[in-house]
Amino acid sequence: MTAVTADHELAPHGRGGWGLLFRAGWIRAAWMSCLFGAFGFGLVVVFRWWGGWQPLFDMQVITLVSMLVALPLGFLAGIGCFDYFPTRPEDHSGHGARSWRDYFRVNTDHKVIGVQYLTTTIFFFFAGGLLALLLRAELARPGMQFFDTQTYNGLFSVHASLMIFLFVIPAFAGLANFVVPLMLGAGDMAFPRLNALSFWLLPIAGIMMLSSFVVPGGAFACGWTGYVPLCSTHEPLGAVFFNQGVQWAGASSIMTALNFLVTIITMRAPGMTFWRMPLLVWANFTTSLLVVVATPFIAGSQFFSMFDHVMHTSFFDPTKGGYPLGYQHIFWFYSHPAVYIMMLPGFGIMSEVISVFSRKPVFGYRLMALSLMAIVVLGFSVWAHHMFVSGMASWLRVPMMITTLLIAVPTGIKVFSWLATMWEGKLRFNTPMLFALGFLSMFVIGGLSGVMLGSVPIDIHMSDTYFIVAHIHYVLFGGSVFTIFAGIYYWFPKMTGRMYNERLGKLHFWLTFVGFNLTFFPMHILGTEGMPRRVADYAPKFADLNMFISLASFGLGASALVFLYNMITSWRAGEPAPSNPWRGMTLEWQVSSPPPIFNFDEIPQVVGSPYGYGMPGAQHAILAPARTAEPEEAGVT
Amino acid sequence: MRRGQIVSLVGIGVLAGGIATAVAVLLPWLPRPAAREASRIDFTIWFVIVICIVIFAIVAAAILYSVVRFRARPDDHEDGPPIHGHTGLEITWTLIPMLLVTAIAIVSAIVLARDGAQGKNVLRVNVTAQQFAWSFSYPDAKGLTTGSLMLPKGRSVLLRFTSKDVIHSFWVPEFGQKQDTVPGMHPTLHITPDRLGTFPVICTELCGLGHALMRAQAVVITPAAFAKWLKSQSAAISSPNAAVSGAAVFKNNACGACHTLAAAGASGKVGPDLDKLAAYAKQARQPLESFIRESIVSPNAYIQPGYPKNVMPQTFGKSLSKPQLDSLVKYLAVSGTKG
Repeated sequence: MTAVTADHELAPHGRGGWGLLFRAGWIRAAWMSCLFGAFGFGLVVVFRWWGGWQPLFDMQVITLVSMLVALPLGFLAGIGCFDYFPTRPEDHSGHGARSWRDYFRVNTDHKVIGVQYLTTTIFFFFAGGLLALLLRAELARPGMQFFDTQTYNGLFSVHASLMIFLFVIPAFAGLANFVVPLMLGAGDMAFPRLNALSFWLLPIAGIMMLSSFVVPGGAFACGWTGYVPLCSTHEPLGAVFFNQGVQWAGASSIMTALNFLVTIITMRAPGMTFWRMPLLVWANFTTSLLVVVATPFIAGSQFFSMFDHVMHTSFFDPTKGGYPLGYQHIFWFYSHPAVYIMMLPGFGIMSEVISVFSRKPVFGYRLMALSLMAIVVLGFSVWAHHMFVSGMASWLRVPMMITTLLIAVPTGIKVFSWLATMWEGKLRFNTPMLFALGFLSMFVIGGLSGVMLGSVPIDIHMSDTYFIVAHIHYVLFGGSVFTIFAGIYYWFPKMTGRMYNERLGKLHFWLTFVGFNLTFFPMHILGTEGMPRRVADYAPKFADLNMFISLASFGLGASALVFLYNMITSWRAGEPAPSNPWRGMTLEWQVSSPPPIFNFDEIPQVVGSPYGYGMPGAQHAILAPARTAEPEEAGVT
Repeated sequence: MRRGQIVSLVGIGVLAGGIATAVAVLLPWLPRPAAREASRIDFTIWFVIVICIVIFAIVAAAILYSVVRFRARPDDHEDGPPIHGHTGLEITWTLIPMLLVTAIAIVSAIVLARDGAQGKNVLRVNVTAQQFAWSFSYPDAKGLTTGSLMLPKGRSVLLRFTSKDVIHSFWVPEFGQKQDTVPGMHPTLHITPDRLGTFPVICTELCGLGHALMRAQAVVITPAAFAKWLKSQSAAISSPNAAVSGAAVFKNNACGACHTLAAAGASGKVGPDLDKLAAYAKQARQPLESFIRESIVSPNAYIQPGYPKNVMPQTFGKSLSKPQLDSLVKYLAVSGTKG
């Protein structure tokens, strides 16, 4: 087996000349993008000429068909996402990375794809963060200083869209992509090519959302919720960039989730029953269930909104009999479960990190897994709590309040179980554990303000104010982003084969933790006092707090640079990582850092719990002896 | 758990809870209520806050105690005790939160029902929202329309909402209540003002470029003053030619919400100051009356420097009748040059 892992034929290099034009890669992507774009353009013009529609060159339709649909398809085909034919069995030519160049092509190795996901999402994290700092610059003082309201509304809309669709959701998918097959004892994901395709959809979605700033009329400026009829009939062309961007990102999510489900159900190593799966795998299993069921709903809502905008249909246009609240119901039927899509994988990371750094088994393992399932089921029955003041049928409010409040129960079980996991443990405060503790404390605050918002009368006062902004950042930044940081630091040695700089990691944590609280805690007060969200200007009485928040936010922004510096320098020249720096029991730590190209020389045999800390002789799995351990051995024939 | 552990845990918990309580009590974060509904909402908030502070204190105590007490010494490479769970404990922290959220749900449902219950002799007000202005009309007073929401103290008020374009949301922080205005629907909202004063009406649903500027005032006056106000206003609109008098058109379309005009007692700051119309027309190099007409019918044709584009509604050309438009232009041309 080792012989096979050592050297696989890559796509033939160095065939210059015309061959370069037709080989999968960036050159082919460039000309195929142009070709497909031109085809889309021609299609629109021919049909409009044939139907006798004026004007022949309708820029709105041309942009949609040519730039937002055809061109990305051309790019995907050119870069090699559809090179399925001729199909050769056991063809591993697109698998694995030997140089940095292999990260810039279609790669079927889940480890490479995981890293591609993470680097891409971190790029968009910085882009979205920069937009947030521009917002805070404008909000530092009342009145308008730097932007007109169109640009300002565009800034917060694109900020939220990037952070949600291009950072939090796919960053979790990236981490899971790297870790889940390793944890399962599998060689790769079930569908490696589908996996590659779902990654390459992401940059398309991100660039689409960012580029809406240069579209005539400006970026989409109706918030990431895209409420109609504002977003469908009162917005410039940029709104379509949001509608379509969400489609590409959503398609990516659905494909990845299907892939995870099939992988987790069918590719567990022998002996790994569902009750022996690490909680990270459980978390991604439940998240994938949510994605597969819920994401088609946002796709529908965005298609209908876009049809109203471009094709003058009337799904949501009340002047022609449409129903604006219909949009909100469909939108939140996805976007509330999406909150758990952005949180459950983080719960999984927390269970791994807290258990390993406390040197204790996860407390109440089965209840932890069951509460994930409970959140999935309940998560589909609470969407209308985003609509308590929307004017929907008023009887719907109390039942939705009850289900919303009930979700606090499984969430509470998880928090208390993590606390009990730490109890009497042997705690070590490496950076992942610091972020885990930061997560626990911040997520509790965000969860409790969530309980407040779950109560209908309180929500009536608070909704659409800065209290909501504070709450969402406590759960999505203090919650999800902290767990993403914990996960990145935790698996950094496994991904890169090098250790990160611990001192810089701790500095990053403390700057982030302090900056985060100084930035977002005062927003609770602003909101209850009466400052609405999504405003470019505000009453003078809020000036002092806003100045304070803006200054704190610049500090928070600066803390991200420490993270970036640490990642880049450690990846280039960090200390070589041992295979198991944290003494973890799950399978990914039993192979070299970075893992061999096909993960395991022989499929491991799982014999026990993944969290047998403190039990003498406890084993999670038995691996083929000796061969797997050290990095230099991995590549040897 | 040993006794010492329990004592330290409780100590840290009381400290954390104390700090959280101090933050909640000392910071001025809830506006002083000016309606019975707001007082009930405040009660709900404090009810939930108390529960939240207790939970927060428990979690904070457990984290802080663990961090200090269970820190591993650098040379200690042992594992912790293999505790896999504790059924009694797990049942406890499932059941207690369930009871707490049930209590919150019951209190909330009762408050919600009472906030919606209308008193006797309800005052009806029709609220119209459009990009980016509010107007309020009183169906019981022959459709009297104003740019400020005048309300009598102590009387049950039922607001009925209409939106002319997109979704807006009506909120007066001191009243607590909030309602989205959805085009094609007419949702209602119940308020019982119980404190005299002037409060901001805020649009809280993103409604476009002028969203931050969509403000009006709610004024709570005594029932006697309200009756007097209603009478004087009704008299004004029932005079002959009132429907087309420029002053009435100005008032009914809530122009004063955004514009200053001394003659109408309007002091809006969102759009250009209409007392300076003559100067603006000179700057735009147009005759005064045709400048005013163009600015109402197609506001983007000329934008006074310093003011944003696309904020003034572009619908007045359609919604005003020809005589209404003519008299409004005349009215502005005359009163706008006096100032």
